[in-house]
Amino acid sequence: MPALAEVRDAAERGAPVTVLRRAPAVRCAAAGSPQPLAGSLHVLTCGSVDDGKSTLIGRLLWDAGALHTDQRQTLQRSPKTAAGTPDFSLLVDGLAAEREQGITIDIAWRYFDTPTRRLVIIDSPGHEQYTRNMATGASHADVAILLVDARTGIKVQTRRHAAILDLMGVARVILAVNKMDLIDWSEARFGAIEAEFLALAQRFGFRNAVAIPVSAVLGDNIARRSAAASWYHGPLLVEHLQQMPARQTRGDGPFRFPVQMVVRAGQDFRGLAGTVASGKTAVGGEVIDAVSGRRARVRRIVTMGRDLDSAGAGQAVVLQLDTDIDVSRGAVLGAPGQEPAVVGSFDARLVWLADEPFNPARGYLLRTATDLVPVASLDIKAHLDLAALTEGPASACGVNDIAVARFDLGRSAVAEPFARHRETGSFMLVDALTGASVAGGVVTSILGRDKRRAQEVFQLTRSLLKRGIGADLGHDAASEAELRRRADEVAILLRGAGVAVQLDDQWAPGRTDASTVWLSLLLALSFGFVSAIVLGAL
Amino acid sequence: MSAPPTHLDLLEAESIHIFREAAAQFRKPVLLYSIGKDSTVLLHLARKAFYPARPPFPLLHVDTTWKFRDMIAFRDRTARELGLELIVHVNREGLAAGINPVDYPPSTYTDVMKTQGLRQALDRHGFDAAFGGARRDEEASRAKERVFSFRAEGHRWDPRKQRPEMWRLLNGRLGGGETARVFPLSNWTEKDVWRYIAREQLEVVPLYFAALRPTIARNGSLLVLDDERMPLRSGESQAPRQVRFRTLGCWPLTAAIESQAADLPSVIDETLSASVSERQGRLIDHDEAGAMERKKQEGYF
Repeated sequence: MPALAEVRDAAERGAPVTVLRRAPAVRCAAAGSPQPLAGSLHVLTCGSVDDGKSTLIGRLLWDAGALHTDQRQTLQRSPKTAAGTPDFSLLVDGLAAEREQGITIDIAWRYFDTPTRRLVIIDSPGHEQYTRNMATGASHADVAILLVDARTGIKVQTRRHAAILDLMGVARVILAVNKMDLIDWSEARFGAIEAEFLALAQRFGFRNAVAIPVSAVLGDNIARRSAAASWYHGPLLVEHLQQMPARQTRGDGPFRFPVQMVVRAGQDFRGLAGTVASGKTAVGGEVIDAVSGRRARVRRIVTMGRDLDSAGAGQAVVLQLDTDIDVSRGAVLGAPGQEPAVVGSFDARLVWLADEPFNPARGYLLRTATDLVPVASLDIKAHLDLAALTEGPASACGVNDIAVARFDLGRSAVAEPFARHRETGSFMLVDALTGASVAGGVVTSILGRDKRRAQEVFQLTRSLLKRGIGADLGHDAASEAELRRRADEVAILLRGAGVAVQLDDQWAPGRTDASTVWLSLLLALSFGFVSAIVLGAL
Repeated sequence: MSAPPTHLDLLEAESIHIFREAAAQFRKPVLLYSIGKDSTVLLHLARKAFYPARPPFPLLHVDTTWKFRDMIAFRDRTARELGLELIVHVNREGLAAGINPVDYPPSTYTDVMKTQGLRQALDRHGFDAAFGGARRDEEASRAKERVFSFRAEGHRWDPRKQRPEMWRLLNGRLGGGETARVFPLSNWTEKDVWRYIAREQLEVVPLYFAALRPTIARNGSLLVLDDERMPLRSGESQAPRQVRFRTLGCWPLTAAIESQAADLPSVIDETLSASVSERQGRLIDHDEAGAMERKKQEGYF
């Protein structure tokens, strides 16, 4: 990569690496527009302020030429550090100011361009109590920089961070061993920290783990090779980031298309809008709705500029099918033979994000790729002890806890193990009443469609709801969606009253089958029973 | 698409995804259309998100009555040509009280004519979500803004009530009295906006391109006189200058820059090599905040 040589040369001359700034301005002769960047890399930075994180980020911005001249000049006029270098941490927000504003769940986003790609720095506060912030940031990251102070090395906090990265599926990790200048660039000391880190990395199965000795204040081994550490022959930090594969989209995986909404135009056009989560599909290709098992072929792949022949992971399109299989928001299309798993229960790991702890009596909704499913029951089974990296039994769950949990859903929905299906294996937990996002997590294993018996669980079917609470609704798609919404809300209310509720598969997105009389009778009886409970509770 | 996606492709797809998530979850959204380059990109992405249907929401422009005439002409033409419903809202009470940017401090004027005007319009029409063109790269305080940003009753922003956003999941379930602001351009930079305008060959307000315009210099800024409503102060004189705008707003409050960039390629060149940040002085803000923080840590209070 010739640009890197430029970076290094310029850096070694002691100048800020402004050469980088000019590179993107090469214009395509035809379009008169600048050359686009080949994708983007999302980099999570974690570590506490004491480790020099703000300085490292500021230094990265400086060395990558991401700053405007006025910013450089202001920084150079600002008070210097003890080492006589600009105080790069001034480029990054102070966390104390945030705390004063009461903003506690906060990650900051910063953007800059290298000659070839966009770098997005996701900055998360690193103190122990900010597990939720780091987990939130990690869910968006391709690669993480773990920062440690060379004088203290791997701390409990570092293990904690590694565990969170593992949980959130970040498998590329850089350990930046900072402040090497304060230990006289001791090769032995770095070697010991590196060995400990690689053991940690092995334990978590990180795909790509590298330790780099740096001094963020001096800029050593950031974009410029350190003269003080001639023993180090590994990559520079900027160099290593440059070589990381750009944002991975699951082009190779099985086709997954979570339907966001139905798009109608005129009398004839009905299309399914969504973003391809993984794999690809093509015109003429067969797709299957996982819940109903109904199949159709792709007639058109519509975008505003032009119709496409095929669509792959990451592309936002509208699919028009050759037969109307009546799916709507919440459905996930797959390829026959490789269709997504439909489950009633699953095991998961989650990070509790809300200040209010888990309350078994409260109504929760599971937010999956595009579905919103009532949770019939949620059992907290264990907590992950991030310091010891062990699991201990637990039933409660509060802010910053990482828990192992069993979910029973109020109706069948698509959910798959996160390790193989990132998009259909991640979720958020929503408080039904306030709408707050109370937890986020990943599916660890699925338990198939729920076959619980009717007498254990209250079966909420559509026909009686349609007679009473949905009597005002018609038969069109909008009414169908509204009926489903009311069914979910009723399930949540009943759940809050202590009644385990299940909506049968008739409630899956797009299903409109009629049901039988005896079910209606059962429901009528049950309603009386439940009303009594609710009134009793009041 | 056989070529790997560029970062603009990724940004476009992400924005379309956000538009659809919002349209599917909120009952009555609206797009805040402020006529500038960001709004131009926002509107283009909204059209892409729902094609072949039209965007399932109207445009709302909160008109302070002090926008450049070129902006108003562009606004009306855009809505007409695209066949979109345009709601123009003016804070009549503010207007009747004579609030203007010449005689009142910018903060008072902006609060009455823009902020209060916006609230009036949202309440009057019962919108529960509003798309805006804000970007996280605009200034430091925006770097932490969510894609779905929630407002309590009375449009109050409560930092404690903001929701963590994980993966690509956007939770649009509203609590009682809540409304939302939605920012599909959150992850775009100023450069991306111009690159995308070039790639998609979008038309923007001519004020973004350099031309000879009647200007005055005031408080170190160049102002372009758009009509007769702002009297000159003593010692000020009007002079034609070759200027353009980087951002557009109310004309007495929007500074122009001297520039020769009269077409899109040269504006992009100038933006990509800009030596001054979009909001000059933000580093100074940082600096002061940092200094204050250090003072506090040192027991200043």
